[in-house]
Amino acid sequence: MIMGEAGSQENSSRLLMQLEHILGSDPLIDEVGFIHPTQLMALNGGSTGSLDVSAHGSQHSSDHVVETDILQPNSSVFWIKDHKLAISTQALLPLHNAAKHAFTTALRQYKMLHNICTKTDRLVDETVSNRTLASENLPESEVMKHSKSLLLLSCDFGSAWNARKLVLSKNQQLSLFMDELLLSALILSYSPKSDFAWTHRRWVIKTISGKCPNMQEIVEKESKLVENIAEKLKMNYRAWCHRCWLIPYMAKEQMLSELTKSKQWAELHVADNSCFHYRRKLMLRIIEDSCSRQLPEFCFNHVPDLYQMWKEELDWDETLIRRFIGREALWVHRRFLSQCWIKHFVSDLQGAFCHSKNHPGISHDVHSFMYNEMQLFHACLTVLDDEFEDGQAQATLAAAYILWVSKQIPQSQGIKLEDMLRELGGLKTLLNKLCPFRAQLWDGLMS
Amino acid sequence: MGELEMEKHVRYILTIEKKKDDFVSLVIEHLRINGAYWGLTTLDLLGKIETIDQDEVVSWVMKCQDESGGFAGNIGHDPHILYTLSAVQILALLDKLDVLDIDKVSNYVAGLQNEDGSFSGDIWGEVDTRFSYIAICCLSILRRLEKINVEKAVDFVVRCKNLDGGFGSTPGGESHAGQIFCCVGALALTGSLHHIDRDLLGWWLCERQVKSGGLNGRPEKLPDVCYSWWVLSSLVMIDRVHWIDKEKLARFILDCQDKENGGISDRPDDAVDVFHTYFGVAGLSLLEYPGVKAIDPAYALPVDVVNKIIFKK
Repeated sequence: MIMGEAGSQENSSRLLMQLEHILGSDPLIDEVGFIHPTQLMALNGGSTGSLDVSAHGSQHSSDHVVETDILQPNSSVFWIKDHKLAISTQALLPLHNAAKHAFTTALRQYKMLHNICTKTDRLVDETVSNRTLASENLPESEVMKHSKSLLLLSCDFGSAWNARKLVLSKNQQLSLFMDELLLSALILSYSPKSDFAWTHRRWVIKTISGKCPNMQEIVEKESKLVENIAEKLKMNYRAWCHRCWLIPYMAKEQMLSELTKSKQWAELHVADNSCFHYRRKLMLRIIEDSCSRQLPEFCFNHVPDLYQMWKEELDWDETLIRRFIGREALWVHRRFLSQCWIKHFVSDLQGAFCHSKNHPGISHDVHSFMYNEMQLFHACLTVLDDEFEDGQAQATLAAAYILWVSKQIPQSQGIKLEDMLRELGGLKTLLNKLCPFRAQLWDGLMS
Repeated sequence: MGELEMEKHVRYILTIEKKKDDFVSLVIEHLRINGAYWGLTTLDLLGKIETIDQDEVVSWVMKCQDESGGFAGNIGHDPHILYTLSAVQILALLDKLDVLDIDKVSNYVAGLQNEDGSFSGDIWGEVDTRFSYIAICCLSILRRLEKINVEKAVDFVVRCKNLDGGFGSTPGGESHAGQIFCCVGALALTGSLHHIDRDLLGWWLCERQVKSGGLNGRPEKLPDVCYSWWVLSSLVMIDRVHWIDKEKLARFILDCQDKENGGISDRPDDAVDVFHTYFGVAGLSLLEYPGVKAIDPAYALPVDVVNKIIFKK
């Protein structure tokens, strides 16, 4: 029995008041956890097991004391220390109901007032908007307070995120927008996939970009946030999409610095395809920025740097492939690198880099490129000797990669791949042997 | 491998509707209309749509409509294109599209198209290829595709294509089987599949099949029953479904059934939910499993429903 039927709604409202008091007194809360009542009890060192808040302070007779006591967090429901907040799972249902009710009521009042203001007098409307949200009991501060509680409990309650956007869009204070980034970060710390929380960040950044003097710093912080969240939950699509979304806000130096930083991260997470995709996106953007078609001379000057960047990425990827056996993400990355390499740096193909042949020290020979890839391929086949499944996976990935590269090179280049593979009985035979459950795919691709 | 436990799945879907008061139900109340679409489509694929009170469903769906014309995920919530498609699909499924003010709904959807051809999910402006598919699918069902700039919509989807042949959520976004379904679906419904390199995309999609027979959504991920729908429907649309091992995939889906209480989970022995139950049954439908009605890979509705609405057969 969570609480008695009689007065349960009142109890829920009090719990909500306590939660909002906690949130109001400590704006720096950076972690929220929902834990079992027994764990919470252990944290608080107490022994109470009831959610009946009225039990607390019942001996006080003075109204003032009772009121303070109501706001005193119920130790069987809340625990707060060092900006970390824990809430008993037992209280989630009543808290959610109370927060939803309070939020809905506040929003209705806010919309009503706003409608009246816009209809009667614009000036009144502006006066209302310009007041700070910190002032208590204004409809907008009520909306902000209750939507925050509701979102902490139910992060995908879209209407609550929207209500915050509505209030903010009528108020231009930059600090309030920064608070939104904090709230969203707090929620993402325990719900790292929340689409709504990520979307809200983008809305905030789009809204303040152009008005905000330190955009570069904000973008850097955003990028760091994604890295932290990606650390907790691997291959988080929404998180990495957010990082890719930031790229157009970055200057070239920042993109280069992102490449360096994500390199270390990738080495520690070689199966995380999303991180490698982020690198691909950065590299493509750097090429785009360096080589706009209108300025061939500008592009010409950048070719050695771009060549170097690609060469280093190929070498680095090869090192990782040889070190971490059978990792699909590394081979997916190599497919991309080779594809662009052949497109951009192989001299006798038409492309944006056609002037680059005049650069000394840059090799454009597709034959020497293929020679290196075949060396890698053969090295990966020898791993087959080990008895682990990874060796099998490595050989399959290597063979599929060779098939991929062969399809990137135009016939005119005169590369006779099947000649190179004759000793293995041909690529199709090899792939069928290595990965028989994809026989129909190999057949489809090579018939 | 066992058989598809049709009766148990039907019973499972009919019982989840009754659970409304626990915390888990509350935190997903905002997308109840999506849940209704998954549940009802599954029932129809299993030939049991008549077991529910259709009038009750229709009247609840209509209560989710906002004055803007868009639908919310539940009564009293904000409208979003995600929920609007589910509402339209449910009404199509029940052959009740005539209760809609078609122009009002289609104006809402068309109003979300941006200058570059992309679609926002709602008035707050988030852009995603999911919304492009939803807008196109919704307007196709309502036969109001002419309300949007189809050419620009297609251009935007094509801009989200990656070098690996797949598609992401925005231009340059990582290829993801769910987003690929949306982009291929959008291109299929607008007669624009020529923008796709079928062999290249087919290759990427087929590499999603792992040893157990199940499909994942991206490289290095675990297989999940929901990709039986996203990947398989895309393969059907680009005519490369014969490139995967269908038998192994069917076995994987059947292994994810709760054989006692009904329902299908993401992977064998996990907890079941209505989302995966729908995607499992829909996947089996595309695999032509006996006794399951055929589903249309682009509209995500039973073929007989599509025939009736779109082709007036």
